[in-house]
Amino acid sequence: MEILKSKERYDVIVVGSGAAGGITSKILTDAGLKIALIEAGPYFDPADPKQQTQFKPTWASPRRGSSVTRRFGDFHMSYGDWKVDGEPYSSKDDTDFMWWRSRMLGGRTNHWGRIASRLGPKDFKCKDFYDLDENWPITYEDIKPYYDKLDKLIGVFGTKENLPNDPDGFFLPPPKPRLHELYYIKGARKSGINVIPSRLSVLTKRINNERGICMFCGQCERSCSVYACFSSSSSLVIPSLKGGLVDLYTDSMVRKVNTDNNGLATGVSFIDKKNGKEYSLRAKVVVLGASSCSSARILLNSKSNAHPNGLGNSSGLIGKYLQDTVGTSKQIFVPELMNRKTYNEDGVGGAHVYTPWWLHDKKLDFPVGYHIETSYRNLGMPQFGVGGYIPNDFNKFFGLRVGGYGEQIRKDVKKYWGSTISLESRGGAIPDINNYCEIDKNKKDIYGIPVLKFNYKWANSELNQAKHAQDIYEELAYNMDGIILGDKPGKEQNYGISTPGSIIHEVGTTRMGNDTNTSVVNKYERLHDVDNVYVVDAGPFVFKGDKNPTWTIMALAWRTSEHIISELKKQNI
Amino acid sequence: MKRRDSIKTIFLSSIGASISLESCITPVGESIADKVWEYQYGRTPHEKSRDEKFLNSIFFDQTELKIIERIANIIIPPNQYGNVNDAKVVEMIEFIAKDWSTPAHNNYGENVLRKGLIVINQLFIKNFNKDLLECSDDEIKIIFDKISYQDNVSEDLSEAASLFATYRYMVVTGWFTSEVGMKDLGYKGNIPNVWDGVPDEVLKDHSVSYDKEWIEKCVDQSKRNDLAVWDDDGNLIT
Repeated sequence: MEILKSKERYDVIVVGSGAAGGITSKILTDAGLKIALIEAGPYFDPADPKQQTQFKPTWASPRRGSSVTRRFGDFHMSYGDWKVDGEPYSSKDDTDFMWWRSRMLGGRTNHWGRIASRLGPKDFKCKDFYDLDENWPITYEDIKPYYDKLDKLIGVFGTKENLPNDPDGFFLPPPKPRLHELYYIKGARKSGINVIPSRLSVLTKRINNERGICMFCGQCERSCSVYACFSSSSSLVIPSLKGGLVDLYTDSMVRKVNTDNNGLATGVSFIDKKNGKEYSLRAKVVVLGASSCSSARILLNSKSNAHPNGLGNSSGLIGKYLQDTVGTSKQIFVPELMNRKTYNEDGVGGAHVYTPWWLHDKKLDFPVGYHIETSYRNLGMPQFGVGGYIPNDFNKFFGLRVGGYGEQIRKDVKKYWGSTISLESRGGAIPDINNYCEIDKNKKDIYGIPVLKFNYKWANSELNQAKHAQDIYEELAYNMDGIILGDKPGKEQNYGISTPGSIIHEVGTTRMGNDTNTSVVNKYERLHDVDNVYVVDAGPFVFKGDKNPTWTIMALAWRTSEHIISELKKQNI
Repeated sequence: MKRRDSIKTIFLSSIGASISLESCITPVGESIADKVWEYQYGRTPHEKSRDEKFLNSIFFDQTELKIIERIANIIIPPNQYGNVNDAKVVEMIEFIAKDWSTPAHNNYGENVLRKGLIVINQLFIKNFNKDLLECSDDEIKIIFDKISYQDNVSEDLSEAASLFATYRYMVVTGWFTSEVGMKDLGYKGNIPNVWDGVPDEVLKDHSVSYDKEWIEKCVDQSKRNDLAVWDDDGNLIT
């Protein structure tokens, strides 16, 4: 294949424009560095009327928002999901792993739940507190200043709670709870379960003059046209483009990192999806922020004489220790929420309240806890499937006839609208060397790039965590005078534990550590083996606890970016 | 009256309000170009071409469309907000028949939706010796009563009942996701607003209230435009 080379040598090439690539691009260009930002998907701006789905009514879609072309419905803002045309992946043995990719400027930050939680002190010392195999090589105190800076730059609402492992930050004020959330608070308190305001990256108050303030449409997952919720596209990359220091390459699939005879990186090669041609770019430093699994794939595909196992893989650990959040969920029917008076309760695009892990001191048969998220679109805009397949299925709880047609069905839909609350546990996974992604030697994507193969099993302690959550749902349903819907999943159903990858929190494939034999990157996210290659997505996570990873990805990437700037100034790289 | 009791009263007396059946006239068909223009909702070029392909092709014939319309009008009868034609229920089902007709959907349009019309129509031929379209509303309801409730479907009608449930699902979805249907449901959002909590009368009705200490931490909407400033300890001071 013809390879087209650029003449310019950039200071830094950043691969991926999501949470990691967005903040890295901003910090590097603010320091005057010239960068190439490479994104595998197209340009995306939520303010572009051609791309905007925010405020589109359901009837604007001829399929009424159903999920045929987009996995979470027509209005959901992700180009790509667990399936991407032409980009397959495979699984080892009976592994069922789901790998989400958002191929677009800003990546998954366009649709994420905006949950901006910090890892706590115990999560960094996970060996000491949870008896896991390794601690992080850094502590909460090392990363705290970057969390603080992120809060102020990007914005997160929440409240100071002084909890032991859910650190406070510089919060914007939260919105008031919705009605069903008040029921949840009341029910949880009966069991001594703490509920606090959510911590979401949504601007309930002005933080600068470039971004708008929340309009309470409840549609953050559509990406906000006034930039009130954080997306890397709207809030970081697009503003960075104005400075003239970013050359943005969209629709460009990175194949590998190129190296010289000494094994140092010289740049990257990518396929332009529009014409199928391969290009190479040169830079002093390469930063991978393509997502845990994508960055692992690029490194494993970057074999050379100097790096026969893949770039930076002398430890053989790239792809290992893959973790996704342990998830479970249950819907609860709350009869007191029937026949609701209707009013606008869209609120922000996420729950206004949540339960952080509350049993720190209790001895349980699983080491790592979970937090509980609640549903939020209880009175939200109806989409395909409104009312459910049998709109008055709940009639069975009252001994009334199920089914029918006509006025009765219409009334039953209204009667039950907004009367269910769904609860979702989101818990820490156990880092395990046997959970991994690797290169599938027999399969390539349509660009000719070898694809990933996954191997992943939940551990017994993770199943125990799921079981605990299911017991709690039952207790909370009772406290809310409600009924859990469907059977309670038991051992045979693995307690309803999520399919690995389905919570879309993959971390851990390029583990951070001080020991070059047991980790891939150092505490500044630099490959142990290669001085000028960094990984800034969730790959370097040793462990994520029950926390959602985005805020930590960005805090680490910010810290790494400052390190890169300093190293370049010192001419060390 | 306690809310619990009121609920009981409401759901026990929920059936039976009288409604007037307006005549349902099929609206003049819009041109396809109008339809394509109508559906502007942030499509990628690939998605748009898929939509246009389906909007420009025909799945059901005129008789089938009339049967769907007739069934839909009985599943969701007209009321003061409009009828199933205002909600474009038939158009939605026509679109879904094509949208779900891939091998991955097991040719849903053919195997479920078209088949459903045939199986349901057969019941009318068998019982009344005429097609559904030639039957009166009362005759149609006699059949629907036999196949629409979970508790009394005889075994030989189980396939028809399941196909009827599919059409009910489609019609209910089509109605409540439409502009008129959302008014009927009472959905009030999807507009820029400054949300400041659950209305007082709703809180009262449900015997819940906001904690004072919780609410003091929440957003003061009169200051939302003031630039956020914190002290060194993370306390918001604006």
